[in-house]
Amino acid sequence: MKIVRTIARILAILALMASGSALAQKPIKIGFSMALTGGLAGAGKAALIAMEIWRDDTNKNGGLLGRPVEFVYYDDATQPAKVPAIYTKLLEVDKVDLVVSSYGTNEIAPAMPIVMRKKLVFPSLFGLAVNDEFKYNRYFQIMPSGPEPKTDWSKGFFELAMAQNPKPKTIAIVSADAEFSLNAAGGARKNAQRLGMKIVYDKTYPPSTTDFTPIVRAIQATNPDIVYVGSYPPDSVGMVKAANEVGLAAKMFGGSMVGLQFAAIQKNLGPMLNGIINYDFWVPEPTLDFPGVKEFLAKYQDAAKGKGVDPLGHYLPPYAYAYLQVLGQSVQAVKSLDQAKLAAHMHKTTFDTVVGKVKFGSNGEWAKSRVLFVQFRDVQPNNLEQFAGPGKRIVLHPKEWKSGEIVYPYKK
Amino acid sequence: MKISAFWICIAVIFLGGLAFTEVATNEYYFTALYVILQATIMAIAWNILGGFTGYVNFGSAAFFAVGAYTAIALDKALGLPLPLLIVAAAVVCGLIGLGVGYLTLRLKGVYFAIATLAMAIVLETLVTNWTYVGGARGAYILTPENHLWFDSYIQMLFMLMLVLTLGSVAISRKLNSSRLGRGLAAIRDDEVAAECAGVPTLRLKLISTTVMGAMMGVAGAPYPFFVTFVDPVSAFNLFVAVNAIAMPMIGGTAHWIGPVIGALLVGSMQEIITVNVSSELNVLIVGVMLVLFISLAPQGIVGLVQKHVLRRRR
Repeated sequence: MKIVRTIARILAILALMASGSALAQKPIKIGFSMALTGGLAGAGKAALIAMEIWRDDTNKNGGLLGRPVEFVYYDDATQPAKVPAIYTKLLEVDKVDLVVSSYGTNEIAPAMPIVMRKKLVFPSLFGLAVNDEFKYNRYFQIMPSGPEPKTDWSKGFFELAMAQNPKPKTIAIVSADAEFSLNAAGGARKNAQRLGMKIVYDKTYPPSTTDFTPIVRAIQATNPDIVYVGSYPPDSVGMVKAANEVGLAAKMFGGSMVGLQFAAIQKNLGPMLNGIINYDFWVPEPTLDFPGVKEFLAKYQDAAKGKGVDPLGHYLPPYAYAYLQVLGQSVQAVKSLDQAKLAAHMHKTTFDTVVGKVKFGSNGEWAKSRVLFVQFRDVQPNNLEQFAGPGKRIVLHPKEWKSGEIVYPYKK
Repeated sequence: MKISAFWICIAVIFLGGLAFTEVATNEYYFTALYVILQATIMAIAWNILGGFTGYVNFGSAAFFAVGAYTAIALDKALGLPLPLLIVAAAVVCGLIGLGVGYLTLRLKGVYFAIATLAMAIVLETLVTNWTYVGGARGAYILTPENHLWFDSYIQMLFMLMLVLTLGSVAISRKLNSSRLGRGLAAIRDDEVAAECAGVPTLRLKLISTTVMGAMMGVAGAPYPFFVTFVDPVSAFNLFVAVNAIAMPMIGGTAHWIGPVIGALLVGSMQEIITVNVSSELNVLIVGVMLVLFISLAPQGIVGLVQKHVLRRRR
């Protein structure tokens, strides 16, 4: 009897040890800075929620290389000046095994020299053409803006325009005087010139602008076929409202308006959005139903409740999950944390992620652009839930993801 | 004897910094110290006008940003080495400082403060529309390969910043304890009385604003090489201006050592809180400290210590 009891105890201890071994192992630390306060806090917090879902999913499945995954992160307060200190601390003091970027161009670029010096792979989240300057071959950017981000961005919009009959001939380009919107407008200008369109209005406005009616009136006076807007969330709202007030008569209206992807703004603008053709990265259309994305969004929407972030999380969160998936899958595939091997693997592999298949080109951007151009349709007033399902943001471009036909002209 | 003690201190700190670059392998310390030293120069500079002369400048971020953008423009145009960029930034910002000095002819007190804030907005708008330096898109500066005999570029930047800080301390001390400093103090106490007593107020104010501007430009010039990406929003950040005011206020504005103490204290605390607690809290703590010091100890830490020493002597 005594022997049986002893054997049972030993077995119990062994079982405990076996079950706990993955967790008892030294964790793999992933370090990053994130904009949790300041101007980009809304997006940064949403990204963090998505990243934590990835961490928990991964740990539930046994971690990476049999080791649990742990995050070490600091708030960069949307201040680029804080980023260098954060990344040196992550690498020198916290001794993280892997790093990923913060959100946005301004917060990614300051980390580059530090990451480059240590020759680390650097998955990055929504930086526009950061690597044009650094030319770092271990940089991998998850936003699907394509190999030439600045011009690829608006290519789809112009291809759509050129497919219409009669072809639009004149264009008005207006953008906020800030980093992303100027780059977007610059790309649009090049595309318009390449296609021989006549640019009848080409101006910028200060980011602090609140009244957009005079701008839209000035655009209306030039009577353009197309109005291409590069704007940030507050001005996107202002611009759409002004276009409705003035009764903008263009045939195509939209472009690179940041903010129209966010559920709260969509609800706020309601039917005013109808007809607008704007960029997006993921919408709940049947053509974009990638494996895992719905499960992820369900978890995200649950976690996001009461946190003041985008309640639907279609825009940034799936990509914040995906850039860690790319890193995690690479670690599992090469079975080590060797940065050279990881980088080589990331260059040659097509990854299966919640945002679909991801393949990086030589400069670390997506090998092929997948900036979607979607058109708002049948949007009802004051209803958030309508945006959770298909039918409100129809994908018009690129062709392989197309989910419906364009309504042209814009105010039909 | 007193002078030599000061210079010995400066030399010891300089040699200590050099030794530190040899001993320490952890680059985090250099990065964190760089940020603290940058804030120290800004605080010292602000104090020359705000503390010694009594003119409150809300536009510190503009001088800092103009310093940074001068460096970017000249680096792009001529590829000058960093020391020359710093000199150029000092000259440009010194001239802007001189211009601000002439503002004091007409504006005093709160009106002067508002004018400096307005100047910052005007300069930001200019830079935002100046496409050569990136305009609103921002500008990238790649970290140069050459870092002399130091192990890394950040070590070199740290040493450079240390030298600039020590230089600023020496200048500020010289201004504070000289005949010129007494003139500035007279302006602070009562400008009209000072003028009547024969203090050349305009000349002194012009010197004060020029030195302040040049020093802030010097603090801003290496910034692009530190962050590698600068856009007008981050360079003209209000937080730079708030820190430049808060640090001398907390340290004590009347004495040259005040801003140094304030900057070292608040700067280190900000770095520690950012990585240990949160960046949000760090801003809150600066705010609370500022309110507490202004209401309970308006003379700052130096004032508290002086009061304590005086009481003991009695």
